[in-house]
Amino acid sequence: MNYPVWELTTYGGGFLIALVAVVHVLVAHFAVGGGLFLVTMEKKAYREGNPALLEYVKKHSKFFLLLTMVFGGLTGVGIWWTIALLNPAATSSLIHTFVFGWAAEWVFFFTEIVALFIYFYTFGKMERQKHLLIGWIYFFSAWMSLFLINGIIAYMLTPGAWLENQYFWSGFFNPTFWPALVFRTGLSLVLCGVFGFVTAAFVKDAALRQNLMRTCALWVALPFLLMLAGGWWYIGALPEPIHEFIFNKSPEMDTYLHTLAWVIPVLFGLSMLMALKISPMLQKVLAFVVVGIALVYFGAFEFIREGGRRPYIIYEHMYSNQVYAADVPAIQEAGFLPSAKWVKHKEVTADNLMEVGEELFRFQCSACHSVGGYLNDIKPQVARYDNIFGMDRKLSGLGTVNPYMPPFMGTEAERQALATYLVKHFNGVDEQSGNKNIAARDMPVEIPAFDKNSAEYVLLAWNTLGVQGISDSTQQWLMLPPGNTIYAQLIKRGDSPRVVTQNVELRYAVEPNFSNPQERIAFWDNVEKLLGKKPEPGVGLQGKGLSGNMDLQPEDNAFVAAAIPVVPYPRDGGFNPYPVVEIQALDAASGEILAHTRVTAPATTEIGCKNCHGGGWKVDDSAGLTAATGEDILASHDKLSNTNLLTQARNGQPVLCQSCHADSALNQAGEDGLLNFSAAIHGWHANYLRDMPGGEACATCHASRSDGATRFFRSHHGRFLDCSNCHGTMEEHSIALLKQEQSGATQERAGLMMEHLSTSTVESAAQVKPRKPWAQQPDCLTCHEDFGTGMSMNAFNTWSKNAAGLYRNRHDQMGAIMCAACHGSPHALYPANKGAALDNIQPLQYQGNDRPIGNDCMVCHTVPKEFEAHHPNSLRN
Amino acid sequence: MPDAALIPTPDAIPVAWGWFYVLLMLTFLLHLLLMNAMLGGGIIALLSSLRKSEQSLLVSKEFSYKWPYTIAFAVNLGVAPLLFIQVLYGHFIYTSSILMAVWWFSIVVLLILAYYSAYVFDFRFDSLGGRRNVLAGFSVAVLLFIAFMFTNNMTLMLHPESWSEYFNNAEGTLLNLGDPTLIPRYLHFVVGAVAVGGLYLALIGRFNFVKGKVEPAVLQETGMRYFTIATAIQMIMGLWFLISLPKEVMLLFMGQSAWGTILLLLGLSLATAALYLGFKRQVVKTALTVLLLMLVMVLMRDLVRTGYLAPYFSLSELQVTPEYSPLIFFLLVFALGIALVGYMLKLTLECRKEVQ
Repeated sequence: MNYPVWELTTYGGGFLIALVAVVHVLVAHFAVGGGLFLVTMEKKAYREGNPALLEYVKKHSKFFLLLTMVFGGLTGVGIWWTIALLNPAATSSLIHTFVFGWAAEWVFFFTEIVALFIYFYTFGKMERQKHLLIGWIYFFSAWMSLFLINGIIAYMLTPGAWLENQYFWSGFFNPTFWPALVFRTGLSLVLCGVFGFVTAAFVKDAALRQNLMRTCALWVALPFLLMLAGGWWYIGALPEPIHEFIFNKSPEMDTYLHTLAWVIPVLFGLSMLMALKISPMLQKVLAFVVVGIALVYFGAFEFIREGGRRPYIIYEHMYSNQVYAADVPAIQEAGFLPSAKWVKHKEVTADNLMEVGEELFRFQCSACHSVGGYLNDIKPQVARYDNIFGMDRKLSGLGTVNPYMPPFMGTEAERQALATYLVKHFNGVDEQSGNKNIAARDMPVEIPAFDKNSAEYVLLAWNTLGVQGISDSTQQWLMLPPGNTIYAQLIKRGDSPRVVTQNVELRYAVEPNFSNPQERIAFWDNVEKLLGKKPEPGVGLQGKGLSGNMDLQPEDNAFVAAAIPVVPYPRDGGFNPYPVVEIQALDAASGEILAHTRVTAPATTEIGCKNCHGGGWKVDDSAGLTAATGEDILASHDKLSNTNLLTQARNGQPVLCQSCHADSALNQAGEDGLLNFSAAIHGWHANYLRDMPGGEACATCHASRSDGATRFFRSHHGRFLDCSNCHGTMEEHSIALLKQEQSGATQERAGLMMEHLSTSTVESAAQVKPRKPWAQQPDCLTCHEDFGTGMSMNAFNTWSKNAAGLYRNRHDQMGAIMCAACHGSPHALYPANKGAALDNIQPLQYQGNDRPIGNDCMVCHTVPKEFEAHHPNSLRN
Repeated sequence: MPDAALIPTPDAIPVAWGWFYVLLMLTFLLHLLLMNAMLGGGIIALLSSLRKSEQSLLVSKEFSYKWPYTIAFAVNLGVAPLLFIQVLYGHFIYTSSILMAVWWFSIVVLLILAYYSAYVFDFRFDSLGGRRNVLAGFSVAVLLFIAFMFTNNMTLMLHPESWSEYFNNAEGTLLNLGDPTLIPRYLHFVVGAVAVGGLYLALIGRFNFVKGKVEPAVLQETGMRYFTIATAIQMIMGLWFLISLPKEVMLLFMGQSAWGTILLLLGLSLATAALYLGFKRQVVKTALTVLLLMLVMVLMRDLVRTGYLAPYFSLSELQVTPEYSPLIFFLLVFALGIALVGYMLKLTLECRKEVQ
């Protein structure tokens, strides 16, 4: 931003510097070690009185001169030339910090050139000892060049104490200076052998050639140990975050680490092979192959060293995009455009989004991302976004939980401009949300009849969650299996009504249009691989099919049909998240129907992964996870957590998220040291959904969008509350879950995920109370004190003690009737959905209104009651 | 001054700017000498090789021996002034380099090719026959191209008011072609290079550092001829360059600044003296005069830069965060380097004597 940025597109993303640097360092290290090789071999020739060997050394010195002085020297200047063009701010910083280091290096470079020319031009003309001395001066000068440059290069990765004191010597003798010096010295000596093969292979005298090959092999072998020892020390000297980043966190390191893992032994093995008697032709070919392998080796090493300091160019001092880390807060505050000198547009307007976005891309992204080029091509990175919102959220979370990207630097409007540019320019998409506004569904339902005068029984039924989410990309992974649990209580009406549990049978049947879920989702093809269970097609994980008997749960005085595998895909096509279930109570002996009712068993696949992971909706452009979405999620997980899930899934082994991340809902213990599923999935994504008011962030993933296809939050509470009133914002919700994990092996991970999250309902994260997923939820009585009318709209941060305290598990004061029996399913409490029939079947059936059951005591009681047995304030009318 | 808005904020320097100024002037002078010898010598070698006479071919061949290491030292001695100019004027030169990045980057690639071409010209001079002219021609053309790019960059960095062209072209293909000083400045350098190249050959002849079969006297005479002709033309070029400068910069040398006026007068006197001595074929005296003249030129060139940038920047504005120990380290290394090079040259000269 202080300097203009050269627009390179295809050759951007650091391609030019990688190209120049890799070839340079190979030759430059050879230039160092080669000096020692020359003097040693020359001395050997004198000692042995071997004129042929001396002649070889002379020829090798010519090769050495032409390669190191011309190519090595000029590409060295070329690196400097190139970094000044690609990253002038960092170059300037390095130049100004280490100017006398560079200047001293220049002196040695000069001495080196003088020595090498004299060595070459006086070969055979100068007194032997003096000529050797010139060679030694060359080697000393070249090694001193390495010594000096090494200090500056190592500083970029590990500036160490310099960050605090800015002293030249602190930066120069930084934490990796000495190990890197040993490693590079070893490497430079190995390279003498490597390049020695090339010149030796062209020696005509067979005996001499063979002798030289062996000598060169020895030159590879001995320093190899020094190099490996230096490398080992180097790795050990890396500060923990960099070490962790290189070996575990960075998505791009794997390739280079693997390359090193096979290239190092191959380089060694092949070099040893050169010592054997093989045909001269093969020797020549292999000599070049060995150089090629050395180049690959060096390339991989340099990519690791450079990549290891991402997203910085000077670790923790300056980001790769030339912004000083210390300047970021001010830029976030003031905006990037007003802070940058070289941008054309100084503010974002409705008309210049694309131009501003392009400028922001150039200044903030193009240092590492090419456009359609060879390094970090931006196109595949953004291809998944079919909407601007998702791209914007991705940008908003950069620099938080993934350590290899810098944060977006600028205001929300600027970020929006960049997101617009990326999605519109590269994907041709110009949609803010990428989700259609789905018209409210007309959901007619026949309300069963109820004769208040003659009926003997009242049958109440509800589902436990209000909606069951189902992840239906089961070929790839599973986090939410189908399984909607229905409860029912049968009440014998009377002066003193009682809950009937004996001698009756309760049956349920999902409406026929939904009766073959196995034809609609691939769950049953994969369930055994995912969960180790093998229910029959169409049968749920607790053994229940789409119709059958309900089981008595004595402690609740209720009958339960657990995990009915109902799916939101009716036979006649499309998406319908509200299947209706018929419930009947029968006399066990006679089979006479005592009562019947209906209840909806909501199930949805409207899970918004695709908003950021791409792949689009599977059904009706409004719900369902596609295979593309599923694969992208695995690929992201692989990239970020160093897993191999995508390959695993493609090989026919889909992944159960909870097999690693514990989840009580699925009875999965997970793996030690990993966050539980709720904490992990919320904590991670919260970092990309920060600063979103109310329940907006929730609706990004959950089916609560007010214009979505499910709109599962159907309670009358929805008229004046949103998700955050009870659960907190996405950030607060996540903090509560993460705090629960903030001990033992998961402490660090939880801490990392929480680091950038903030609160709005309470003052700080410190005040958020930890919460166990599923077992602890907001408590109705927080607002409805003593069962009164809610006077507060904030139920966040007061959690039920345990699962027994959950609304769905609680009973009235007598322990007879469950709360939900009268008030309806969670998220769909009566009066639900602004009076729509589907969610209010029983109030409409028994009372003729949509109020909670008991609004008319006479539903169950044949004689009016005067004391509040169920709960205080129950006789309000 | 809206144009100044684009000028980047410079980084702090570790010692007073005067240190860098002296180092910049000194090392640039050294670079200029070598660069002139490399380019001017190359032009003379090419022209000599194109002529049919045996002696002129030998002149060409003699330079072919010197060319590779002249290039090596020209490059090496260019590193130091480029370092010091980045310390003092980095915020100007990084910017102008980026504006013309494609051209600037191409220098590295082209120079490697020109360098290798010069080596082939050296090692295969005889066996190449007429094709050697292609190689020498290529190297010379590349060096002339590079010189043109340097002239562009060194002038573009002085014109922050023209930098906003970046907003129409960020691809790094801008040049400073609209600048009326560009051509005279370029020619001033190239013609000067021929003069110094000639002097370089004359000195080789004069001190008999001849490797090939060329008559030292012929080499000296040829060199001095090129020197005098080029210097005569150079005086015209210098005048052209001077009057092409913007008035406020030009006037620095014409009374506005005592220092500038003295430098111009000194420069004119030294140039006249050098031309006179050149006609007299006084090689050593000419060379010493030219050395002084070039020092004056280097200082004048710097004053031109100061004059151009005066509305925007002066060196005293640079913030100093003092840290002197690295400077001392450098000075020690510098002394060590000089001692080593001196010692090696001594060994080499002794060896030359032994051989003779």
